[in-house]
Amino acid sequence: MSDEVRLEVKNLCKSFGITKAVQNVSFNVYKGTIHALIGENGSGKSTLTNMLTGIYSIDSGEFILDGKKVNAKNQVEANDQGISIIVQEIGTLSGLTVAENIFLGHEQRFIHGGFKNTGAMNREANKLLKEFGFDRIKAGDMIDNYNFEDRKLVEIVKATYFKPKVLVVDETTTALSQEGREELYKHMNRVRDYGGCVIFISHDLPEVLDKSDRITVLRDGQYIDTVNSADVTEEDLRTLMVGREMTGAYYREDYGEKISDQVVLSVKDVTVPGIISDVSFDLHKGEILGFGGLSESGMHEVGKAIFGASFDREGSVTLADGTQINDIPTAIKHSIAYTSKDRDNESVVINQSIKDNICLPSLDQIAGKSHLLSDRKQNEFANKYAKEMSVKMVNVNQFVSELSGGNKQKVVVARWIGKDSDICVFDSPTRGIDIKVKQDIYQLLDKMRKQGKSIIMISEELMELIGMCDRIMIMKDGKINGEVKRSPELSENDLIGMMV
Amino acid sequence: MPTKTVTAAETDDEAMKKASRMSLMRTLLPIVGLVIIFVIFNILTHGQMIQGLALTFSDVYVTLISSMGVFFIMTMGGLDFSQGSILGIASIVICALSKYNVALAVIAGVAAGAAIGLINAFFYVKRKIKSFIVTICTMFLFRGIIKYLTSNTPVAASANLTNLYSVPLLVTLTAIVLIIGFIFFRFTRFGTDLKAIGAGETAAKFAGIKTDKTKFLIYVLAGAITGFAAFINVLKVGSATYNSGSMLETKILIALVLGGMPISGGAKVNFLNVVVGSFLYVVLNRGLQMMGLTTPTQQLIQGIIFLVFVFIFADRESLTVIK
Repeated sequence: MSDEVRLEVKNLCKSFGITKAVQNVSFNVYKGTIHALIGENGSGKSTLTNMLTGIYSIDSGEFILDGKKVNAKNQVEANDQGISIIVQEIGTLSGLTVAENIFLGHEQRFIHGGFKNTGAMNREANKLLKEFGFDRIKAGDMIDNYNFEDRKLVEIVKATYFKPKVLVVDETTTALSQEGREELYKHMNRVRDYGGCVIFISHDLPEVLDKSDRITVLRDGQYIDTVNSADVTEEDLRTLMVGREMTGAYYREDYGEKISDQVVLSVKDVTVPGIISDVSFDLHKGEILGFGGLSESGMHEVGKAIFGASFDREGSVTLADGTQINDIPTAIKHSIAYTSKDRDNESVVINQSIKDNICLPSLDQIAGKSHLLSDRKQNEFANKYAKEMSVKMVNVNQFVSELSGGNKQKVVVARWIGKDSDICVFDSPTRGIDIKVKQDIYQLLDKMRKQGKSIIMISEELMELIGMCDRIMIMKDGKINGEVKRSPELSENDLIGMMV
Repeated sequence: MPTKTVTAAETDDEAMKKASRMSLMRTLLPIVGLVIIFVIFNILTHGQMIQGLALTFSDVYVTLISSMGVFFIMTMGGLDFSQGSILGIASIVICALSKYNVALAVIAGVAAGAAIGLINAFFYVKRKIKSFIVTICTMFLFRGIIKYLTSNTPVAASANLTNLYSVPLLVTLTAIVLIIGFIFFRFTRFGTDLKAIGAGETAAKFAGIKTDKTKFLIYVLAGAITGFAAFINVLKVGSATYNSGSMLETKILIALVLGGMPISGGAKVNFLNVVVGSFLYVVLNRGLQMMGLTTPTQQLIQGIIFLVFVFIFADRESLTVIK
């Protein structure tokens, strides 16, 4: 590690509407280092690197790379200035060949007299693939012929073949197998060894401590501290990320309570072709039933299936009184609530006011016998439940698009509390939400449970399932692969074994 | 720390102020525009417009009624270009049946309009084809049928019907239709559902709105409403020609946009868009005619004004592909 500053981050700010995503952040990245960037969801890590790579515009402040101000309006310009990124999701384009993806935006060098020399491009790409040790990937093939993992390898080539001065790795490792991770680490080290620097974003603290030289912690868009990896422990990092002592209970604290024998919802042989098959279970009164698994395990579809929102569903979802749930209006009418993992598309009507969003499922009830709606009635209703959920807002006429993820989620929950639903299906209720709001939501779930409401909680975060649920179903390849009961001894590893 | 809170509050305030300014402009600009245009044309034509007010407004009834149906469609994010052909077909039906019974003729006209709306709805909702493609197809299809039916002679309405003509009747009928529409849109869940679909169809569905059913019914309803507008049209002109209702769809679209309606529909629409827009369009049109401008010049000016309004009112944040 040298003392030579390669990248200087100076007084950077970025807001989205009223949300301050990054506030006055400054730190230095040294030559030949792997510099980790950590923080809770919404702390501004990705916003920061997206500004560096030209995906977002910069409100104020600057990045200085080797003494020169970075001024990239898109990723290609960023590449030209020596910066590249490997993203979390799929970063290659379908419908193009491997070679076309590698040289996307840099085709000029293969174009002579207006004609692209595909042969030369493929030869060059094959040479690079061979250098990187990915011989089995062929430059001339369509990228679609390769799986997620291989496409990530192509992205590694794309992002590093030109020896960038700064390589951003944005939460890429979570999506990769151990083998893929090792490949990625190898190339991160290669960048470090030739004097470049790697900005490494990851949620996996042991990985961060193991792979990085220095670590910068962000919280709520603000710079907290930069430390040397050798000097800190996982616990130190966690304290820096959360930044406050948590008061009161976080998860539920009771153990050994008996689950009621009363079944409120019975799911039998539910199959959604290609996604889930033969899923059967009972939901009891006052129970929190968890669903865990990998993202692709089909657990998210279970929620949709119960809510009548699945396309082409077979099997039955039956309430205690024998009512069959086959579509959304019936589900809502019979007191079933659902919050989707895809919050912006499926949960909130993003371009509508908080008022409309809270009132939507309850309009008939608000209108009452006269079937007439008035602003006054709707305002009262929306205000009541927005206040109950303590939504941070100017007033209920504010558009939902201006709210942060946590507040959007509160609006959705407020809607269903307003509807007084007895069966609540919460898919990823705390996704992208900071720790304080998470605690609020956990406490709310516990309260609802005690009121005799039944809750299905689908989550990719095993800790919250273990902390909150009476029973946990683990899904794998579209099937229920195991069931565990609430117990203080339960650990993440017990569940992971059933997931993979 | 206190400074931070202040700035946060300021940004909140600014954002809200900006949003409310925009919504105020959306409401006020068309009204102010209507008044200004009305005054200007009266000055330019030496008061002729005021003197011929009844004549000026004789054009507004059909536009008002039929644009209400399209207003509903656009609120939920669709478009409808077939309105002119619906008016034409319904006018023919009404004229042809008026010699038997006026009430029957009106009901049949409304039914004919609803039937074409049903065809639109079928292809749009059940076959999932974009609404502007479907309605452009039905526009040409039924325009062809109109021309075929009226190629030799216009279809004249019987005296039973044309004798009913009186300005108070037109005003009353138009007012009744609009008031019913307004009450349903503003004070029942009908309007809220349409706005929610326009603002985000998937999320609306997950909130329990029967989106497909609503979309289907709204096209049928818009057809029926224009079927009724055809009755007003026949009362006024007394016959149906190959040209009946021609370009009505464009008139409606221009009127709604002049009225401040965002093309993409959604939460920011306002029933006032229908009324102000229709009057603004008719006054503008009549004024340009009175000034003795040639048709091409009139169209040129209309085109420019239309473009300016679309530019001002386009809701860029929520502008997606129109369904």
